[in-house]
Amino acid sequence: MEPALVLTGLQKSFGATVAVAGIDLEIPQGSFYGMVGPNGAGKTTTLSMATGLLTPDHGIVHVHGIDLWERPDEAKPLLGVLPDGLHTFDRLTGAELISYAGLLRGLTPDEARRRRDDLLAALDLESAGRTLVTDYSAGMKKKVALACALVHAPRVLVLDEPFEAVDPVSAGAIRRILLMFVEDGGTVIMSSHVMALVERLCDRVAIVGSGRVLAEGTLDEVRAGRDLEDRFVELVGDVEDQRDLSWLRRS
Amino acid sequence: MVAAVLSLRWRTTVNSLRRDWWRILVVVAGAIWSLSLVPSLIWAEQVLWAQLVDLRADAMIVGGSVLMLGWTAVPLLVTGLDDTLDPSRFASLGLPLRRIMPGLGIAAFLTVPALFTLLAMLLLALSWRDDAAALAVGLVGAALTVAVMVLSGRVAVAWASRMLAGRRSRAAAAVTSIAGIAIVAVAGRALLSKGLEAVLEEDVPTLITALGTTPIAAGLAAPEFASGGDWLPVVWRLGLTAAWCLLLALVWRDSVARVLVTPPARSAGVTRRDDRVLAHADVAAAIRRRLEAAAEGPFGALARGLARALPSPIVRAVRSRALRYWSSDPRYLAAAAGALVGPVLLFGILLPALGTPGWVAFVMPATVATSIGWGRHNDVAYDSTALWLDVVSGRIGREVMRGRVEAMLVWAAPVVVATSLAAVQVAGRWDLAVALSAASLGVLGTTIGVSAVLSVLMPYRAPQPGANPFGAEVGSVGAGLAAQVVSSLASVVTAPLVMVPFVLAFVVHPAWAWVATVTGLSLAVLGVALGVRLSGRLYDARSGRLLGAVV
Repeated sequence: MEPALVLTGLQKSFGATVAVAGIDLEIPQGSFYGMVGPNGAGKTTTLSMATGLLTPDHGIVHVHGIDLWERPDEAKPLLGVLPDGLHTFDRLTGAELISYAGLLRGLTPDEARRRRDDLLAALDLESAGRTLVTDYSAGMKKKVALACALVHAPRVLVLDEPFEAVDPVSAGAIRRILLMFVEDGGTVIMSSHVMALVERLCDRVAIVGSGRVLAEGTLDEVRAGRDLEDRFVELVGDVEDQRDLSWLRRS
Repeated sequence: MVAAVLSLRWRTTVNSLRRDWWRILVVVAGAIWSLSLVPSLIWAEQVLWAQLVDLRADAMIVGGSVLMLGWTAVPLLVTGLDDTLDPSRFASLGLPLRRIMPGLGIAAFLTVPALFTLLAMLLLALSWRDDAAALAVGLVGAALTVAVMVLSGRVAVAWASRMLAGRRSRAAAAVTSIAGIAIVAVAGRALLSKGLEAVLEEDVPTLITALGTTPIAAGLAAPEFASGGDWLPVVWRLGLTAAWCLLLALVWRDSVARVLVTPPARSAGVTRRDDRVLAHADVAAAIRRRLEAAAEGPFGALARGLARALPSPIVRAVRSRALRYWSSDPRYLAAAAGALVGPVLLFGILLPALGTPGWVAFVMPATVATSIGWGRHNDVAYDSTALWLDVVSGRIGREVMRGRVEAMLVWAAPVVVATSLAAVQVAGRWDLAVALSAASLGVLGTTIGVSAVLSVLMPYRAPQPGANPFGAEVGSVGAGLAAQVVSSLASVVTAPLVMVPFVLAFVVHPAWAWVATVTGLSLAVLGVALGVRLSGRLYDARSGRLLGAVV
């Protein structure tokens, strides 16, 4: 079976800073793929290049066999994207934002309305649907952005930190939606700092550090019989100077 | 704390110079220009010194009042100068007001324009050197007046952004602009009806004397009385200026105090029951269905043509979103007001005051159109928060650009037509109404097209939604300057060309009016269509670079 997403030799530098030094990944269809890495490892840059938000310096992205940067009109409809660290247009209400995303993706108004109402209910945003997104909490913004990523029923979901700032109840709802999506043959790629969450949800994992893939494979292959967190720290390296901040202590 | 704030300012300046080396050229050019003014200032001081005492004071009052107007108005009109020390940036530090205020205050005075104004005013005050007492009063008065200028600028920006950020922002902006236009109209009318010479003889001396009793120029009027040995007017004039300074400082302090505890970007709990985005899409779908049903009928060809010309649902979605920011985003409201204020001031006050002939009014609609169209040359950056969703949704650059331009035309086209009608009324040439409206719409269309292309080609950082609409992102000044120069050159070149047939209609033969009408309307359509098509193609080609350029 053709992989859902293939990244080949992706590279990106910003001036003298190398953000992504060369990443090759193959994400099989139907997998729940976790990408973990320390801050500044290049996760967001990689996912931006994999979703058409950032032109790579080098490298190719294939979505279900279609070159994303060569044939975006065929590849982009297959992708659902939740970026991290980008503001969302926040002067629309939550409901309006979801319909807007649906219409941009070419849904008819009637279909957009139906899916909007379903998504608002599924993500427990119904009461907030009439409030402007600017008044949302960080977690609610995350949820409405996820709804925008789902509205056109993509085949691959690329989610950057989807559970950040989301409360446990909403996280449960998002988890259920994502697991159902994968069960029906969809593919999810998500980045996260939270190892426990990745261990619980993902069947495949890549550990990324300094713009490179340090380890990749099924969860058990990468863990190599240990805790994911220990393995992660081992690969990435612990903080070198473990200085004792004695002045923080009270007595 | 003062040292910390000042070193912050110094550090950001140095870092931005280090990042974009060519900014040093701008700084050096500015410095050379300022220094080149020093000889003429010295010459002006000599000239003033040779004048009679009352004439010298009058000249100082007029010059000071013009500078005062500039210090209050320019920060509002020219946005994006530098907001390193925007008080809201200190909000998260939790500093008490009394620790941060001295630093902000001193930093406000340590800018190149403030120092230069101070230098210039002190130099000119030296023209009182015949009398030691008058000289002392002159120097103190000049320094106090410069303080009033700088503080007025700060207060104007603080109040304007507070007004635009609030729940009543739209109403407030509308009322202010209507009041401003009314004042301008009355003043312009008074000037026009009397004639310039009569005004110069009768009203201007009264006005100068009056200005000399207000905080605007009281400090500059004081030395005249000092040289005559009349000390009471000197004391109360200097006292008034000092008191006004203190009052402005307190008002500024109050707004800073407010900013420090008021988070930006509040929609004041607005809720909307209906989904406007979908409502617009529903209307469009209904129209399309009706047209498709009519395609079988007697006017089938027409109905099919109309159905093809209908904007796609994507265009409609973008347009309804863009209309939302035109009606509620302070940054856009400030930009729209700013585009209108300049031309209205120019044609309402300045030109009537100079006694220019009526046909000059014909230039007004084209100027308004150019300034509206040029104002959108960084639209993509202003719309940065919508960018990622538009980009990941596919190759839809043309639809996105068309939706944006259409939303703008919704208000800009009526404004331009209304200005054209006002102009023909002033000039008394209603026979040219259609031609002037069409030609001005042509200018609007072509400048919008140029701006659309440049907004994709040369975007630079703009204030984020909810940020101070009069501020700039740190580091945007340089890139912004290049884009501004290119876009204004393009507008300045295209606008007069579009107006050529209309000028011929006015100068050569009225028959040209028909040519002006046809070319104006076709250039309007062509400019918008080509601008949308080209900018849309560029948008798709550069979609992976736009986010990096504006976020």
